[in-house]
Amino acid sequence: MHNILMVLRREYLERATKKSFWIGTAVFPLLMVGFSFLPMLLIGLGGNEQKAIALVDGTGKLAAPLTRELADEKLKNGQPRYLIENVTAAGSLDEARMPLEQRVRDKQLYGILSVRADIDAKDAFQFYGRTVGDIKSTAEFQSALRRAVIALRFEKANIAVDKEIVAKLIAPVDMQTNELSKEGGSTKKDFMEAYLGTFMFVMVLFMTLLLYGIATMRGILEEKSSRVMEVLLGSVSPDELMTGKILGIGLVGLTQVAIYALTAGLVRIYLSAQSNPDMAGILSSFTAGKMTFFLVFFMLGYFMYTALFACIGAVCNSEQEAQNLQSPVQMCLMLPMMATIFFVGQPDSTIAVIVSLIPIFTPMVMFMRICVQTPPAWQIALSIVLTLGTTWLIFRGAAKIFRIGILMYGKRPTIPEIFRWARG
Amino acid sequence: MDTAIALRDVVKEFDGFRAVDGVSLEIPAGGIFGLLGPNGAGKSTTIRMIMDIIRPDSGTIVVMGKSSRENVRRNVGYLPEERGLYKKMKVLDMLEFLGTLKGSSPRDSRKESQGWLERLEIADWAAKKVEELSKGMQQKIQFAAAVLGKPKVLILDEPFSGMDPVNQNLFKDTILELNRRGTTIVFSTHQMETAERLCKEIALINKGKLVLSGSLAKVKDGFGKNSLLIEYEGDGGFLGALPGVARVDGYGSYSEIRLEAGADPQTIFQAVVGRLKVKKFEIIAPTLHNIFIEKVGAQATPALERVGDA
Repeated sequence: MHNILMVLRREYLERATKKSFWIGTAVFPLLMVGFSFLPMLLIGLGGNEQKAIALVDGTGKLAAPLTRELADEKLKNGQPRYLIENVTAAGSLDEARMPLEQRVRDKQLYGILSVRADIDAKDAFQFYGRTVGDIKSTAEFQSALRRAVIALRFEKANIAVDKEIVAKLIAPVDMQTNELSKEGGSTKKDFMEAYLGTFMFVMVLFMTLLLYGIATMRGILEEKSSRVMEVLLGSVSPDELMTGKILGIGLVGLTQVAIYALTAGLVRIYLSAQSNPDMAGILSSFTAGKMTFFLVFFMLGYFMYTALFACIGAVCNSEQEAQNLQSPVQMCLMLPMMATIFFVGQPDSTIAVIVSLIPIFTPMVMFMRICVQTPPAWQIALSIVLTLGTTWLIFRGAAKIFRIGILMYGKRPTIPEIFRWARG
Repeated sequence: MDTAIALRDVVKEFDGFRAVDGVSLEIPAGGIFGLLGPNGAGKSTTIRMIMDIIRPDSGTIVVMGKSSRENVRRNVGYLPEERGLYKKMKVLDMLEFLGTLKGSSPRDSRKESQGWLERLEIADWAAKKVEELSKGMQQKIQFAAAVLGKPKVLILDEPFSGMDPVNQNLFKDTILELNRRGTTIVFSTHQMETAERLCKEIALINKGKLVLSGSLAKVKDGFGKNSLLIEYEGDGGFLGALPGVARVDGYGSYSEIRLEAGADPQTIFQAVVGRLKVKKFEIIAPTLHNIFIEKVGAQATPALERVGDA
């Protein structure tokens, strides 16, 4: 017991007091935020300048309604977001457009909208711009254009309808999705929100499991290659060494998770004080219940995967050698993460239920299901029991593999040999 | 005399190769014991089995009267043949850690480590990383790591290999001092001169089998006082051809000569005097070196390096 504690203590102190640990801890959430929110933020931020659009109008009638429909789109300083410059097409539309193109290239114009006289024709509306990937403005712009054109169509069909009635008729249908919880009552929630919230957690779970699993493996490889292993084995048993190591590195992982949980909690409090509805939706995923489950499945996954990684470290002599054995283990983590969107969409499907009960996938998949919709308690309980049982088996096998493997230098044993050690 | 370590019929095989083949040994407490043998004889494998790093296929090993494995790790200090340290750790932190594995608290271990660093004259390097140290200093630290926790038995596998004379002397003195204070010392070596000077008891292993064991004096007596040491000037090449000479171990300016049974040293003396300028002529017991050669040399085969046995 004393030895396990001392090995644990060294692993923890050596890792948690390193600068690289703290830098990693700080950089990881930034990267996460970067990957998941940056595109959204950029799209939201990019539009704070006025956009001049030349309208090459074959109908001659579109300018007024389009300007009107775009009138609601304002910049932060109150100026209209879009300026429509009406160009009457004297000759063909192309002839009118050509001279304007240079102005687009010179950035005097944001883009050119070319409209044929026959608005019902195919390809009647063409937009030319330097960049056409600016989804948000294009979407705004398109819906304004659609409304303007609908008004024009009414006019063309000689139906005199009040503009306000038109507006009402074509008002978009906004369907809100509500999730019925087991306890009764319902919460407003939409798919993107559920997906993003879950994905964030799953990502953290995936990264920490992989990171600390590999850290354990590297640690063992290093002890083997620096030959300090035999010095250690003069004082501790292989079982004590493995246990202390796994617990120590696990504690470092928990420290990191705790830092994230604390930060998320603080940010949540701060944002709810700021009443920022956008972020609050995503941060509402940080509930105490979810955090608890996160911890439970982190620990389950951690012990199972780290024991596997420890074996790999024990039977290999170098990281290159470990690479081959490592990839199937990594795959077991990677596959469910890549399928997150499926499990979030269909948390109750037969496949999801079965996969979440396979111990090697349980930590990731059962956790995903819990994030979206609480599965029946017996399923959660069963998955935990199965995982614990499997982990126990892996641990017993790992201890034996470890004992033989750590003193092996030279040829890496084959997979059948490794299994023979685990049983023996 | 109490027994520190007792081995009975210990066997260890690696892939059908018998690295240790039925070795029985008694290592008395309080002495300095030399485990001798050529490379690949099974010395390291035997030591690893004593340390419970690998387990024998059959046979028993009893350390300090108990066979409990915990007991071995607590009470026996071990310097493996393959030296290794945590390269990225600071010297004092690492020694503190290795000391705690012998049962002390971190604080006590740190104090003890500090003491050893001072004694080995490397206290200034306590806060440096191991990888920043020279090889000689790393050897000192490796040694300190083995003696932390005041072990009752200290097992050193090839302690002097690769060591410069200054360190060799420092460690020899330290080992002798530890022994005076009651620590049983066991070391393996193939350097017979060192063994001859240090050991009270020896065991000679070859090809996994025990060839000889007992106190150094007894072992030598067993070979009789039938060797000659001659120091001279001139060409001693003819010595081997003299009647009554069994074998010559020549070094240019001196030779050790093993006589055939019943040969008279006086005859040899007379034959030599006329042809060489003799500076010293002594009738001696054979040196351990020559006993080793005689016991092992005849059957010496290129030592196979095996996994788990070097």
